Amino acid sequence: MEIILTIALLVGGTVAGLLWRKGSFLRAIRRDKARVQLEDALKHIYDCEYNRLACTLESVAGTLALTPDKASEVIARLNALQLVTHDGRELRLTEKGRDDALRVIRIHRLWERYLADETAVREQDWHSDADKKEHLLTPQEAGELAKRLGHPPFDPHGDPIPTEEGVIPAQRGKPLLDFHAGETLKVTHVEDEPEAVFALLVREKIFPDVVAKVAANSRKGLELETEGRMIFLSAIAAANVRAVAFEQPDIAPEASKTLLSLRLGESGRVIGISHTCRGVQRRRLMDLGIVPGTEVTAELQSVSGDPVGYNIRGATIALRRQQAEMVFIE
Amino acid sequence: MKNIPEQCEVCPVNKQARLVRLGVDLSNYDFAIALAGNPNVGKSTVFNSLTGLRQHTGNWPGKTVVRAEGGYSYDNKRYKVVDLPGTYSLLSTSSDEEVARDFILFGKPDVTVIVVDATRVERNMNLVLQVLQITDRAVVCLNLIDEAERHGIKIDERQLMRELGVPVVPVIARTGEGVPTLLRNIADVATGAFVCRPRRGWTESGSLKKAVDTLAEKIGNEFPGLPNVRWVALRLLEGDQRIIDAIRSGELTSLAERAELQKKGDTQYVAAS
Amino acid sequence: MSPRHEEILHTADMLRWELGEQFHDRTVEALYGDAAQIAKKAVIMPGKKTRLNFERTLDHLVTNRWTGFPLMFLLLAIVFWITIEGANVPSALLADVFLDSLYPMLKSFGENIGLPWWLNGLLFDGMYLAMAWVVSVMLPPMAIFFPLFTLAEDFGYLPRVAFNLDSMFRKSGAHGKQALTMAMGYGCNAAAIISTRIIDSPRERLIAILTNNFAICNGRWPTQILIATIFVGALAPAHLSGLVSSLAVVTVVLIGIFFTFLVSWGLSKTLLKGEASFFSLELPPYRPPRIWQTLYTSVIDRTLIVLWRAVVWALPAGAVIWLVSNIHIGGVSLAEHAVNAFDPFGILIGLNGVILLAYIIAIPANEIVIPTVLMLTVLVTKVAGVGSGAGVMFELDSELATAEVLRTGGWTLLTGVNLMLFSLLHNPCSTTLYTIYKETGSAKWTTLSAVIPLGIAFVVCFVVAVVFSAIGLT
Repeated sequence: MEIILTIALLVGGTVAGLLWRKGSFLRAIRRDKARVQLEDALKHIYDCEYNRLACTLESVAGTLALTPDKASEVIARLNALQLVTHDGRELRLTEKGRDDALRVIRIHRLWERYLADETAVREQDWHSDADKKEHLLTPQEAGELAKRLGHPPFDPHGDPIPTEEGVIPAQRGKPLLDFHAGETLKVTHVEDEPEAVFALLVREKIFPDVVAKVAANSRKGLELETEGRMIFLSAIAAANVRAVAFEQPDIAPEASKTLLSLRLGESGRVIGISHTCRGVQRRRLMDLGIVPGTEVTAELQSVSGDPVGYNIRGATIALRRQQAEMVFIE
Repeated sequence: MKNIPEQCEVCPVNKQARLVRLGVDLSNYDFAIALAGNPNVGKSTVFNSLTGLRQHTGNWPGKTVVRAEGGYSYDNKRYKVVDLPGTYSLLSTSSDEEVARDFILFGKPDVTVIVVDATRVERNMNLVLQVLQITDRAVVCLNLIDEAERHGIKIDERQLMRELGVPVVPVIARTGEGVPTLLRNIADVATGAFVCRPRRGWTESGSLKKAVDTLAEKIGNEFPGLPNVRWVALRLLEGDQRIIDAIRSGELTSLAERAELQKKGDTQYVAAS
Repeated sequence: MSPRHEEILHTADMLRWELGEQFHDRTVEALYGDAAQIAKKAVIMPGKKTRLNFERTLDHLVTNRWTGFPLMFLLLAIVFWITIEGANVPSALLADVFLDSLYPMLKSFGENIGLPWWLNGLLFDGMYLAMAWVVSVMLPPMAIFFPLFTLAEDFGYLPRVAFNLDSMFRKSGAHGKQALTMAMGYGCNAAAIISTRIIDSPRERLIAILTNNFAICNGRWPTQILIATIFVGALAPAHLSGLVSSLAVVTVVLIGIFFTFLVSWGLSKTLLKGEASFFSLELPPYRPPRIWQTLYTSVIDRTLIVLWRAVVWALPAGAVIWLVSNIHIGGVSLAEHAVNAFDPFGILIGLNGVILLAYIIAIPANEIVIPTVLMLTVLVTKVAGVGSGAGVMFELDSELATAEVLRTGGWTLLTGVNLMLFSLLHNPCSTTLYTIYKETGSAKWTTLSAVIPLGIAFVVCFVVAVVFSAIGLT
């Protein structure tokens, strides 16, 4: 009798704990596998359109890991729902289809931003977690999340997050020719017409998301350095490419020292904070005065050697080892 | 600094001090004063020396999470003093910073006193510059100058005043030295006898400047009279929900109108609101 | 909502996409750049960067491998010693006034103005006594401990303690500043919950809140000392009994610290796994504390808290204690009914029904647990000649007499040991729970902060009971 009582108490506690998660639990039941497939297909077609790539039945089947039969079933349903049209082989989104796709993408990217900034979830788990979340959150919940995060314009991979109204920058970045020598850029858009120029760009492996450094910029064209290759783009070719300034990672970690290398009494000048330090953590460090150019002196060691007190702009600030190794110095 | 008249000004029996501490009696105040500053700059000590309210002071960030309020009377005017949480910056999203930021903008203080640790002027200037973006009625209180002197630091207050465009008053809050001057300066700014020309904007890089300019122009056209257009633009670029709400709800419109009236010297309106 | 306003917001969105992600970083950099320039112009004769010799020497001593911890323990010991020794006199004085003089006066006053016996009993035996008990036990140590703590804080020493202890706390997923909130908890858990505000990372702050209970507050110290003396100290030869009972109390404190780390670690690995966490700790310069002002402020502040607490929580508790002992159903008081109902479970976990009932009705204030236990024991066992009637809490002057009453109530060494453990581990008092609710704004965390310790308390007591019976020590 008494033993039962004890067990009941412990079990009661556990059940109470589980009940708090009831909300998401019930939603998980409602979650409908078919809907997930439809939303994933919409997302894929949207991605193709955004990046100006042709989207076909095969690419849908490939991305969603479906048999061609299954994939065409999905497409047929999307078509019946007037979300997708097809002209020959190429699939296109209708206005409504685009709205739906953007809603899913918004939630996906917002959630990734949230995971990156506000939680300790590992980087490699963001995408899969967001892939689940995008089908579960309501637009209202996403709106609340956006408010809390300060309406982030980008997800942690640098992709724009659509607004609540489904607005997304059609053409991000500026023409390649506007970049100066020494700047690093990330390609955001490659124009697919005229075909000859596009073919040339494909040959040079200029795709969206390629990161390159401008070696020289003259009237004749642009010299780019990417993945160890040197590419020359004529002014005409370069005019068909848009890019954004790419400042991450600002410092090659192997190339520089971190605060950790300072022994007591030694000083260093900050050159930047590692891009793996995000969100509140990053803002806090900057607010404390850790910005490029700041002189930092290791001043005090705690009994166990970690944390260490650094003199930063006149104040002694204790930083843990794990924080100190994210601050690059020279 | 340590001459006798100054000391005498501080002592409570001297009528010249013209200071009556009101503790928490906050009825019918004429002016509202906000007290901002980094953690560990003796902000609460300044608060106590103004209001006489024995609020606990500490060497610790985050001590004042709940807003402490107190009051004093000076020259027959009643002042309410609101102690804001000590923060390093106003740009981030911590709750302390939100409280401070929102109060300086939406709480409409007549004067914002920014307490600065004289031994760490450079570090503290970060917050000062940010506060000056938001409000054009501010006084910088240069606290702990005795400590600075011990460290061999001397500060050219006039130069600092020229740079910032607002009064700069050296103070030793622990002993009360300089407090009468601080009170006079607060009164001057509150009544409009001294008009601040706060330093605005900072050396922004090209694209940032262009973006702020573009947005600030639009905001300026829509909310004429708003004294801190560039700052509002900056907050919008940061995605600050509070500012977005203020634009949608019309709160910003009323702020702009109020500032307009203030500029015309209509202090009557200020006192009534 | 004007379309022009929406247009502004839309422009902002577009510009944000154009500006890219480095926007915030660049703004802060620009600001600090300007700040440095202004400082360069305005600060003439910039002081030597080196800090004052005194400060450096002190910091060296405080954070040194060999002197850091001994210094910390020494200071801690001094603070506790001053608190305990210093509180004795005013505590006795307050007890003298409130319990020995004022109480009989109030009772006879009530009789003289013709109050019915039950109202007289409810008001003075129940409510007044509970309040008086809380005030006289709690006020003096609070008035001594907190100012001392505050002085150490104002001087700048406490941040150094957090600095030194951080590595220990980091390993269990917590913040070094939790050391300070724990130390605060040895004074009062409710005050300590408020002090967790110094921890600015949400995850670490929650951990500090949920584990603060494992620091014995000053309402629980007397229980620990009394029970250790009666049941553990008595095992040793007379000349060693003082030492043995002190060791027992120290062991309980250490068990508390062990559970703090264990639960912190567990929380950071389970419930709080995904929560954001960051560390920041400024080590301010040493500044001379302003002794008189601090004393004055602390005493006033804490006195108000204690009085508020006594009125809001202890008064109703006193009323309940009196009522359950005086309302009879079928000729037996409610208290006895409850004790009988709780007895099986209580004995299973090595306690008894009286203790469980005392802990339930004394949730508002740990200070009145022992008086309530004594009163209930007398009520249930019907010992004659001790105490002053149903629902009237009391304490006995001699430990021997107390021991006798408890032994008559069927207490054994196991009961004593488990009471000490239960007092350490059980749920926080209602003031603390209320404070947790106010600070977290969450019913979930408030419930957990009660359920986790209570669960642990039951399990630990049960295990101890099983061990005791296994080795035949009952």
